[in-house]
Amino acid sequence: MILAIIENAFLSLIGSAIPASAVVMLAATGAMLGERVGVLNLGQEGLIGIGAVYSVIAVLSWGVESPWLAMLIGMMAAAAAGLIFALCVVAFRASQVLVGLALALGGIGLSNQLGVNRNGTPIQTLFREVNPGGVLDDNDAVSAFFFHDPVVYIAYVGLPVVLWFVLFRTRHGMNMKAVGENPAAADAVGVSVTGWRIFYSVLGAALTGAGGAYMVLSFTPTWSPDIARGRGWVALAVVIFAGWRPGWAVAGALLYGSMISLDTTAQARGWGLPFMGASDLSFFLSMLPYVVTLVAILIPAGAVKLGRRVRSTAAPAALAIPYAREER
Amino acid sequence: MTPLASMAGAVLSATPWRLERRLEVDAKRAALTRIGGAVGAMVVVGILLLLTGRNAFLIFWQALDAIFGRQRGVEGVALRAIPILMTALGVALSLRMKVWNIGSDGQFLMGALAAVGVGIHMDGPGWLVLILMAAAATLAGAAWILVPALARAYWDVNEIITTLLLNFVALQLVTWSALGFWRDKEAAVIQSTREVPFTLPGIPGADSVTIALLVPLAIAAVLWWVFRSTTIGYEIDIIGGNPRAAGFAGIAVRRRILVVMLFTGAIAGLGGMLQLSAPGAQAMNAGFSAQFGLSGFIVAALAGAAFWGVIGGGLFIASMFYAGIVLQTKGLSVYIIFAVYGVILTGIALGEIAARYRVARRDAADESGAAADEAVAARKGAGP
Amino acid sequence: MTGDRARPAVETRGISKAFGGVAALDTVDFEVRWSEVHALVGENGAGKTTLCNILAGIYRADAGRVVVDGAERDFRSPAHAIDAGIGMVHQHFRLVEPMTVAENIHLGWPETPGVVSQRTLNERTERFMGEMGLRVDPTAKIWQLSVGEQQRVEILRVLARGARVLILDEPTAVLTAKEAEELFAVVRELAAGGLSVIFITHKLREVLAVSDRLTVLRHGIREITRPTEGATASEIARLMTGEERVLDVEHRVVTGDPALELRGVSTLNDRGIAALRDVDLTVRSGEILGIAGVSGNGQTELAEVICALRGMEAGSITVDGADIASMSVRAVTDSGVGHIPEDRIGMGMVTSAPVKDNAVLHSYWTEQFSQGLTLNRQSVIDFARKLVEAARVQTRSVFATAGQLSGGNQQRLVARREALAADRLLVAAHPTRGLDVNAAQEVRSTILDRRDSGCAVLLISDDLDEVLLMSDRIAVIYEGRIMGVFEAAEADREHIGLLMGGHSITGAVA
Repeated sequence: MILAIIENAFLSLIGSAIPASAVVMLAATGAMLGERVGVLNLGQEGLIGIGAVYSVIAVLSWGVESPWLAMLIGMMAAAAAGLIFALCVVAFRASQVLVGLALALGGIGLSNQLGVNRNGTPIQTLFREVNPGGVLDDNDAVSAFFFHDPVVYIAYVGLPVVLWFVLFRTRHGMNMKAVGENPAAADAVGVSVTGWRIFYSVLGAALTGAGGAYMVLSFTPTWSPDIARGRGWVALAVVIFAGWRPGWAVAGALLYGSMISLDTTAQARGWGLPFMGASDLSFFLSMLPYVVTLVAILIPAGAVKLGRRVRSTAAPAALAIPYAREER
Repeated sequence: MTPLASMAGAVLSATPWRLERRLEVDAKRAALTRIGGAVGAMVVVGILLLLTGRNAFLIFWQALDAIFGRQRGVEGVALRAIPILMTALGVALSLRMKVWNIGSDGQFLMGALAAVGVGIHMDGPGWLVLILMAAAATLAGAAWILVPALARAYWDVNEIITTLLLNFVALQLVTWSALGFWRDKEAAVIQSTREVPFTLPGIPGADSVTIALLVPLAIAAVLWWVFRSTTIGYEIDIIGGNPRAAGFAGIAVRRRILVVMLFTGAIAGLGGMLQLSAPGAQAMNAGFSAQFGLSGFIVAALAGAAFWGVIGGGLFIASMFYAGIVLQTKGLSVYIIFAVYGVILTGIALGEIAARYRVARRDAADESGAAADEAVAARKGAGP
Repeated sequence: MTGDRARPAVETRGISKAFGGVAALDTVDFEVRWSEVHALVGENGAGKTTLCNILAGIYRADAGRVVVDGAERDFRSPAHAIDAGIGMVHQHFRLVEPMTVAENIHLGWPETPGVVSQRTLNERTERFMGEMGLRVDPTAKIWQLSVGEQQRVEILRVLARGARVLILDEPTAVLTAKEAEELFAVVRELAAGGLSVIFITHKLREVLAVSDRLTVLRHGIREITRPTEGATASEIARLMTGEERVLDVEHRVVTGDPALELRGVSTLNDRGIAALRDVDLTVRSGEILGIAGVSGNGQTELAEVICALRGMEAGSITVDGADIASMSVRAVTDSGVGHIPEDRIGMGMVTSAPVKDNAVLHSYWTEQFSQGLTLNRQSVIDFARKLVEAARVQTRSVFATAGQLSGGNQQRLVARREALAADRLLVAAHPTRGLDVNAAQEVRSTILDRRDSGCAVLLISDDLDEVLLMSDRIAVIYEGRIMGVFEAAEADREHIGLLMGGHSITGAVA
């Protein structure tokens, strides 16, 4: 009986965590793609904004009626920003940290500027929940766990499986990892380091943009300034926590999402503690997602330091280091 | 996917131009190209404004007029310069050690929050309370970077994301203070904490600028001296240049990283306390920091961690910031400032590259570039 | 590629290449026939590697032609060279450390199946290694392999792509004597099977042991190409070096108090594996103790543990009778220990800092340069100027960054700085590696000067000739153990060579 209650509570917590951190999941996958080939894009926060605002523009100003098309437009806008980033850091070898922060700032500023007249306008073009045969209803926890729109399934199941397969079961993935670990070695066997890095930076940016699009097309669903609210940074942290493994990103994203849904649940139900009123508890809980994420980053490093060396969770060796074939 | 990627590579390698490493990179050229990058970025912004049908020249003129046309403008810039310079000095100090403290916004906020806590709860002579406020702010700023600093120094955890995540926590904490535990129950309209009744003395002749302006100038001077003529500055520069060589020279690298990071947090925290003397900023609310930390970061990047350059860069960014606020009445939103920041930062990053590389024709036998390659090859040959 | 066996496999006609206005290669004609092992011989900086990098598509020549099997080629990247059947194994391996042998061999190879499991990769690798007669465990990660095994992976990878001309750049520099013998056998076999092998080396014994023909390069100019048969080591040496100033070293037998004493020292390397096992060593004031051994047998850790840069697992180290176990790096330095580190650029200097700052890296805290917290800029500058002059470092000024110095100048700067810091003990790790003949002689003279003024010297080198030339006593290290210690007079080259490879320890005088 008690077990059932706990199970129920757990399912509903995770159930609401899933959509809450789908953005993080998409952005983390996007960031991971770039980082696997050695490109650290700190601009995730800006890319989410760009993806979101262009989806909003597509729906509200261009009259796009398909959420998929609106998302694609958001992805392309983010990809364009990702291309500028990639050209700066890969082709011109500019500092990935500086240009990444520039993208974060510029993306936030640009998207806020573009969205300035669209604040709070509700979006009608939404993704529909997947509900095979109408067997699920909105009320119980089990349904809450499974009852989501298709993007959620793509983010949590489709992408990690595909990325895992590509990374660990294909020639392509082998070459990818080589570019991130030792670009000189990849170059020596004829893999174009520059080309691969640009390609995956752009693809990764598009995925992060999809995350932004998902926010406005399903989660919020409306435009508001600073839409990412730190989710881009959390995504970068999730990649570290996951040790650059797609499957573990799911766990990282859900950890963050559970903290978010804990906060929203507490607010909605007016939870309080004996020594802390409902509003104070809510303020406290709203800090938790970031604190928990911070602690999560420390875990892999701590595990290594405390003697449980896990080599496979180390960052790609050439991460954030520009590559130049020096000999020429 | 592979053909696409290799096509991208092929397109790049098919261009007749390539980047070649310069044999010599002197600091003057590096500074000039960084500034050039920033100016180039402004030009790009101007062109974008023109393309969107705005008169860039008029906007530029209005901005200049708003700043230098009257005393209010000059003071407005000085007021914005104080927090920006304080965060910038903290970031510049960390950059000397190749550490990226991106959490100066959080440290700034926590400094201000601690100072407010002292200011609204203490009675006594104004000067004493102000000193205690400054001490509390300094400690709070340092405390706010403690975990990232420990993690970086002893666990080799990259500081970029850890410091940044704490910005969000600080922002939530400030919101909590304003709406919760230190809320001013009498103020109905803007929700904020009670106001601190003490402010720093004003500068003679100024309407609103206080002696807070002297603090960043003094800190810049001290830091400049430390790096010019002390062994501490020498050691920090060695750590920034090559941590292994620092260990070889017997410098306690990890402890130095920890201490310097704490100092960067402390400077930003003190900045938060100084901000409490700005007009209308005597209480904490969610809008207390207008992302001063990010502006400070850009200033540090522009100055290349040279402390005298921070002053110049800080005034430049503060002018832009102020102009942005003034121009809001002319149909531009405050958001555009951040978009412009992004373009400027990209310009700086590209400018840095321009100092280290030059563009040369692919087929021309270029001598200096190849010689640098040879030097690199020789260096590798000397390794294990 | 399998055309006329009578025409050359590869030839260059009038190849020139300059770096920074200095000719690295000057109208070089070079020709390799099918089925031959061709030794490319020369001093450091003679242009051997540059020539081969042009053949392998890494550099492009300023002038001249490359002809492969009768067809003129213009390589724009290593991939083009591989397509033409030329593969190069670089001195510094290009392997992805966290990946397996099988993955590394299949990397970037169009024939690798698109979807592939570890098992398929391993099977393919096994099959392939069977064909080539070279074996490495395909499931091992690169970082778990010995250097010799890593080299085999590189060779396999090149051969897998159908290379018909194999270039080996200084392949024995990192190998034990036994591993080198094995490599020679492999090379002979490949040549017998129809391949051409270009073997870059500066070790004369190897040239005579492995090659069919040889080409000598000196200062970018081809001196001679001739059959190896009938050539003598002294003749090749003369062609390689021209007139050489020979250092005359007088060996001594020193008695007296030990300046450095190691007792039962054990330590771990960065991977946590035992690097030194129960090492006992004594170095007396005024003598050079040479450590002979192949790279990677604990020499790096030996130098670091003496200078307190690395902790000990067991044992004790004393400098002038004082135990350094409880001392900081700085205290050890203050007690008169200088250290020319193996990785001079990576550890011994800060390339982004000015020369003047580098000049005082190991002494800036002393009274000569600082009072309390303040650093006396003028005395630093004065000292740096003197050091630059004494070490004959060529630089525009002491304010230029150290990164602007050429490799040789950087090395001289560090060597002289450390020699000056060494009052009691100088630890010199591979002090002449990568230097040309004259620069190497200068560094050696500096070390001998220190010895003659009463300083103890621990000389670590993987160049046995250098150890034999310089040392008053010689200790051989293998897998972290001292295999034997000899007086210079009684040192037998062949015997030491065997010990370096871990063979018989009979007859060793400990």
